[in-house]
Amino acid sequence: MFAAALTILRKDAKLRLRDRSVWVFAFVVPLALTYVFSLVFTGQDEFRFTAGVVDLDGGPVAEGFTDGVVPALVEEGLAEVTAFGDEVAARRAIEEEEIGAAWVIPEGFSEQIDAGEGGELTVLVNPDRSLTGQVALGVADGFATRIDRAGLAVAVVIAAAGEVDGDGAGAGAGGGAGAGAGGEADADAGADADAGAGAGAGDEADADAGADADAAAGAGAGADGGEHLGDLDPAILAEVAQRAAEAGPLISVDELAAADRQLDGTTYLAAGMAVFFLFFTVTFGVTGYLEERQQGTLPRLLAAPIGISAVHLGKALGAFALGLVSMTVLAVASATVLDATWGPVGGVAVLVVAAVIAALGVMALVGSFANTAEQAGNLQSVVALVLGLAGGVFFPMGAGLLGQLALVSPHGWFLRGLGDLAGDPAWTSALPAAGALLVFGLVTAVPGLLRMQRGVR
Amino acid sequence: MDAVLQCTGLRRAFGELKAVDDVSFEVGAGETYGLLGPNGAGKTTAISMVAGLLATDGGEILVAGEVMTPRASAAKRHVGLVPQELAIYPDLTARENLDFFARLYGMDKGGRANRIDRVLEVIGLADRAGDRAGEYSGGMKRRLNIGIGLLHEPRLLILDEPTVGVDPQSRNSILASVEDLATDGISVLYTTHYMEEAERLCDRIGVIDRGRLVAEGTRRELVSRIGEQDVVRMKVVGDASAAAAACESVEGVGSSDAEGDEVVCLMDAAAGRLPALLAAVGTSGASVAGVQVREPDLEDVFLHLTGNALRD
Ligand SMILES: Nc1ncnc2c1ncn2[C@@H]1O[C@H](COP(=O)(O)OP(=O)(O)OP(=O)(O)O)[C@@H](O)[C@H]1O
Ligand SMILES: [Mg+2]
Repeated sequence: MFAAALTILRKDAKLRLRDRSVWVFAFVVPLALTYVFSLVFTGQDEFRFTAGVVDLDGGPVAEGFTDGVVPALVEEGLAEVTAFGDEVAARRAIEEEEIGAAWVIPEGFSEQIDAGEGGELTVLVNPDRSLTGQVALGVADGFATRIDRAGLAVAVVIAAAGEVDGDGAGAGAGGGAGAGAGGEADADAGADADAGAGAGAGDEADADAGADADAAAGAGAGADGGEHLGDLDPAILAEVAQRAAEAGPLISVDELAAADRQLDGTTYLAAGMAVFFLFFTVTFGVTGYLEERQQGTLPRLLAAPIGISAVHLGKALGAFALGLVSMTVLAVASATVLDATWGPVGGVAVLVVAAVIAALGVMALVGSFANTAEQAGNLQSVVALVLGLAGGVFFPMGAGLLGQLALVSPHGWFLRGLGDLAGDPAWTSALPAAGALLVFGLVTAVPGLLRMQRGVR
Repeated sequence: MDAVLQCTGLRRAFGELKAVDDVSFEVGAGETYGLLGPNGAGKTTAISMVAGLLATDGGEILVAGEVMTPRASAAKRHVGLVPQELAIYPDLTARENLDFFARLYGMDKGGRANRIDRVLEVIGLADRAGDRAGEYSGGMKRRLNIGIGLLHEPRLLILDEPTVGVDPQSRNSILASVEDLATDGISVLYTTHYMEEAERLCDRIGVIDRGRLVAEGTRRELVSRIGEQDVVRMKVVGDASAAAAACESVEGVGSSDAEGDEVVCLMDAAAGRLPALLAAVGTSGASVAGVQVREPDLEDVFLHLTGNALRD
C-alpha cells in the first residue's frame, strides 16, 4: 500500500509542478498579501509603542509611576518612554508623531491624593493612533486601580492631543471620558484592541470607575476613600505608591501579547496569511480523489491492485508535504524579506506540523460532503474563510467573546501557539496549542476518511 | 470450458433502482464477449463490479479462478480496464501515463520500460510518447486510454463503449485493434450500444436491458430467435402506435412495434403480404410513406425481445 501511495504522490507532485495555480496559492499569494498588509500596517500601531511622561508633581505617588511603572514597561521591551518638561512639549511631540501618547501627572498630584481629594492622571492620546492610546490608557488605569485598592482615589482622564488647552474645556471633556475608565473610554477610542486593555485593567477598573470619576468631578469631596485618608501618614502613602510601582504595569505584557496575539504586526500577518492559505493548499490533495474522479482516472486507480486506502494515503501524504513546504517557505521568506520573527525553530516546527494535520483533517471532512472537486473547493473555501476569520488571521480577535471564538478555529490556536512561544521560547510552550490543533485534525480526519471511503463505493 | 470470467447472479441496486439484476455470463479464453444494451441498461454498472470498482449486492465474480471484490488485488491483476470516459492524465506524456500505471501494477523497472515501448508500438504512439496527452487528438487519447488497459498484460480486457464520441476514422482503428487483441488470445469484455460493433467484434453477445440479460448467444443464434422472419419497416404519416396495433392482426405478423414514426413488423413471407399490411395501416387512419423489407439484425432482435429500440 505504501509503495502505491508513494507512486501516486510522485505522480501528483509531477502534475503539481506543471500546474501553476497550486504554487500561486501556496506561495505567491500569501507572501504578496503579507507584504501588502505589512506595508499598510507599518507606521500604524505596532505594539511596541512610544509614549511620553510629564511629571509636574514630583511627589512620591508620581514617582511610583515614573520610577516604577514606566521603567517596567521599558524593560519589558514594550515601550519607549521619553520624559517631557511640560504638557505643551508632550502635545507637540504627539502632534509631530514623535510619540503616540503621553501621561501627564499634574502638579500637586501626590498631595491631593494624600489629602484624600483624589488625583487626576491625564492621558494624552493621538486619536489617529488608537491602539497606542489604548495601551497608554490601560497602563494609567492599572496604576489608578492599584492606588484605588489602597483606598486612594485617582481618576484617569483622557484627552486628545490634537485639541488645544489641556486645562479648560479640554480637561472637562476629558474628565467625562475618563469617568468610564476601562469601559467607556475604550469604547470611545473604538479600537479593535480595546479587549487587550480591557482584559488587563478593565474588569477591575470598571468597578472603581465611578469612584474615580466622582473624585475628579467632585474635586475629592465625595470620594469614598476620602474620609479616612485625610490624616494619612506620608510613610504609608509612600509605601502604597511603592507597592503600586513594584507590581509593574497592571496589564502585563504577557497578558496583552497572549490575549491579543500581538506578536508583532508583521509576524502576526505573515503567520496569519500562511495558516490561512495552508487550508487552501491542502485542499489540492485532500480531495484529490475527487479530481481523479472528475478526470475519469479514479476507476483506473480503483481497478489497479492497490486498494482505495492507498489512494487516500497518497493524496494525504502529498497534501501534507505541500502544506509543510508551503508553511516553511512562507516562514523563511517572511522572516528574511519582511523581518517577521516566528519564534524558535523547534516550537514553530511543532506548531506547523500540527497545523498541517489540522488543516488536512478539517478539509478532508469538509471535502467528504462534496461529490465533485469543484463542489469540494467551494465548500472548503467557505470553511477556510470562516475559520480564518474566526481565528483572527486578518485582525486579532482580542480576549473577549471574539477571542473565545478564536478557540474554535485551528487558525486561532496556531496564532495563539506562536504567541505562547513569543512569551516563552521553550518548544514545550507550543504544546497546548499544538495539542489543540492535533485534536482538530483527528476529530475531523476520522469521520472525513470514513465518509470518503463510502463515497467511493 | 476454461472461462477467464464467470459471473453468476450479479446484482447491484442504487436505491430503488435495480441497475443490474441477476446477470450471469461467462467469457472464455480468447473470446470477445459483447454486452449490448441501450443507455442506462446497466453495462457500466456490470463491468464496474467485474473490474472490482464497485461492490456487488449479490452474486459471484471469478476472474481466472480468483474471486473479484473491490479488495481483491490478486483478481485485479488479471483485469485491464478501459473506462468509458477517458482515464488519462492530460498533463503527463503518454510515456509518463503508462509508467505511472505500470508502477501501480507493481511492474519492475526493466520490465516496465520494455512493456511501455511495446504498448506504445501497439497503440501507434511511439513517436509521440514524449508529448503531453492533453495535446493529442481525440483518437490518440482514446488509443492511449486503451493502451493503459493493456499495459500489465491482463487475461481479461474490459472496454466500456470505447468508441463513443469518436470520429469514424479513429473508431475504425479502435475496432481494428480490438480485433487484433482477440487474435492475440486475450479475452475481451466489450460493452456497446452499437449493434454493428457487437456484430463485427464479438464472438458472443449478451443483450442487456434495464439491468437484465435478456438473451445471449452468437449473432446467428440471436437472430435465429426471431426465426426465419423478415423485418418490414414502414415509415408512416399519422399515429404510429395505432398503426402498429392494426398491423398485429395481419396474417403472419409475429410482432409489430412502433419506433418513432416507423412501424417495425416481424413477419413470415413478407413479400406476399405487403398489400395486407399497407391496408391495415390505412384502416388505423395513418398512411405509409415508405417501406423497407430486409433480413433481421441485432437491432430487430433487441426490439423483438424488449419492445424497445436499441437507440432512441
Ligand atoms: N452511482 C450511481 N448512483 C445512482 N445510480 C446509478 C449510479 N450508477 C449508475 N446508476 C444508474 O444505474 C443505471 C445503469 O447505469 P449504467 O451506467 O450501468 O448504464 P450503461 O448501460 O452503462 O449506460 P450508458 O450506455 O449510458 O453508459 C442507470 O439508470 C443509472 O442512472
Ligand atoms: Mg456506461
